[in-house]
Amino acid sequence: MQLVLIGMNHKSAPVDIRERLQLSCGEAESLLPELLRQGGIREALYLSTCNRVEVVARVTDSAESIAALKSFIFRQGNLGVEELDRCLYLYRDLEAVRHLFRVTASLDSMIMGEPQILGQMKDAYRAAVERRTTGILLNRLSHHAFRVAKRVRTETGIAGNAVSVSYAAVELAKKIFGDFKKRSVLLIGAGEMSELAARHLIRQGVATIYIANRTFSRAEDMAAQFQGTAVAFEKFPELLPEVDIVIASTGAPGYIMDAPMVKAAFGRRRNRPLFLIDIAVPRDIDPAAGEIDNVYLYNIDHLQDVVDTNKETRRNEALKAEEIIAEEIAAFESWFNTLAVVPTIVALRDKMEGIRSGELERAASWLRGLSEEDRSRVEILAASIINKVLHDPMTGLKEESKDKDALPFVAAIRRLFNL
Amino acid sequence: MIGIVLFKTALAVYLASAVVYGISLWGRKVQTARIATWLMLAALVIHTLSFASRWLIAGVSPVVGIHDALSFFAWVMATAYLAMQLRTKTRVLGVFVSPVIFLIMVVASVKLGGDVAASAALQGSLVMFHVTFSVTGEALFAVASCAGLMYLAQDNMLKKKKEGSLIRLFPSLRDLDRINHLCLAWGFTLLTFGILAGSGWARIVWGSHWQWDTKQIWTLLAWGSYGFLLYQRLVIGWQGRKAALWSLVVFGALIILLILEKVLFPSVHKFV
Repeated sequence: MQLVLIGMNHKSAPVDIRERLQLSCGEAESLLPELLRQGGIREALYLSTCNRVEVVARVTDSAESIAALKSFIFRQGNLGVEELDRCLYLYRDLEAVRHLFRVTASLDSMIMGEPQILGQMKDAYRAAVERRTTGILLNRLSHHAFRVAKRVRTETGIAGNAVSVSYAAVELAKKIFGDFKKRSVLLIGAGEMSELAARHLIRQGVATIYIANRTFSRAEDMAAQFQGTAVAFEKFPELLPEVDIVIASTGAPGYIMDAPMVKAAFGRRRNRPLFLIDIAVPRDIDPAAGEIDNVYLYNIDHLQDVVDTNKETRRNEALKAEEIIAEEIAAFESWFNTLAVVPTIVALRDKMEGIRSGELERAASWLRGLSEEDRSRVEILAASIINKVLHDPMTGLKEESKDKDALPFVAAIRRLFNL
Repeated sequence: MIGIVLFKTALAVYLASAVVYGISLWGRKVQTARIATWLMLAALVIHTLSFASRWLIAGVSPVVGIHDALSFFAWVMATAYLAMQLRTKTRVLGVFVSPVIFLIMVVASVKLGGDVAASAALQGSLVMFHVTFSVTGEALFAVASCAGLMYLAQDNMLKKKKEGSLIRLFPSLRDLDRINHLCLAWGFTLLTFGILAGSGWARIVWGSHWQWDTKQIWTLLAWGSYGFLLYQRLVIGWQGRKAALWSLVVFGALIILLILEKVLFPSVHKFV
């Protein structure tokens, strides 16, 4: 009985190989049952995302099954042997448990702490459960991994802070406006970055979006996409008294917004705070505008600084997360080890049970001479003898299995009882 | 007696709450501030019981005495702050509010255990209304100042682009501004009622509504300044930094004047 994990991720394999494997493996539906048809594989779980492909399996004979698994992946991905060895990693038993815990808790992700992986892991598990390819080991392992991910998320700040410029801007806006209900945003310049920030803001519930762009048709396109309003580029100053957040990202060579323009807007704003986000290089907004009361001006460098600090924090939090994982592995280990003695326990009990029923069978003729009551007494006596005999070796096995070194003990019992 | 034991317990729990708030600031953890909030709620409940027991034993509202008026001041601050917690995400504001509450409770405990009974001139329901409304109003101004102080700190950090963890811990500007505004509006209204009740009672006892004693001038000054602030907010549209700054300036100035007045001029209001 062994746990094996074979896979590749963004660190171990270049995208073209991951891609090939993903495409050919296709959906879990067809893949999972086929996996179980490989020699020695009892349970299987298949996870595939844009950054990784992982196969987790419970196997009976490791050498044979690993070979089978590898050749299966080799056939599926149409990969060369050399490529395969270079890109695949293989973990066994507790190492596999550690890897799975780290993946689920998003410690192994490209952007550490990103939340999607837990959902993808849960989907993968659900798919496996629906195809009945999981059993005692993978069920317990998966649920434990989900629990670990939750602990890491709540007990460390690994997912706490924004690590992208656009999301950092959204978090700052939250500290100014509290929430985004009834807030309005003006995008000046319809670039990729401002689009991303707009998407975040919409998801947070921003009510109104205005888009001003030199090429008006582009503004209209984006307005249609976000259900916003396109405005002529020259007219954007007229919106300043009204909007709460401005995201500027034009390709203009000089400032398009200066301090007097912002100041002029404040008469009609009644001092409502204004958040100016300048992600253009060269800058769009005169830094002097940030000096005005109730105006908060952040440019791309300020936001990048926030992101850098946050990344640093995440790295520190990751250390705490690794500690949590070490703890959880220890908790999983004691159960995992008892799993190794389960077949021996079952075999031992079966053998004894066989002896009991065999002997009763042989004695059937004279048993028939006894009264109904006496016959059942004899049967109970036989059962209680084997239970008493088995009691100590069984408890011993379970007790021993909590340590890693149960194997000699198991071997001795198997040999003594000829199992 | 039981009132004093409860009061001392409340004092201790307020201290615990202030300490835990301090720890949450130190460790940059909102989770810790949550514990502090619960502690403050516990303190408030005990405090309320202590108050109620004094009221029951004396048979009249105890707020007319200096000890209980101060204790009531702290009680209003805690209640107002916790009530704000229900509507806004300003947990960490307690870092500023809880030490103030604790200090006032310490001052209040100096004359602990005195009799509730006030002098003959200070009896009657109008006095009770006068003191209750005025103290509540002033306590709300204190909460407004705490929110204003925190607003300025957060505003400063956002402007200077300070390292992020404190910015994240502190409440949003909007919530702080809202608390400042609400406390100002309610505080002003209650203070107005308090003054009206007081002058009505003065008419009965002294025969005239107004004596121009220093405490009355002080109160008038407070009422005028906060009225002006409220006017600026509602009519001129002051908001954010300026409003926060001025609510702090006004509160600070009034405290200084109050201390000066106490030192320099004895007055008929000698119980406050």
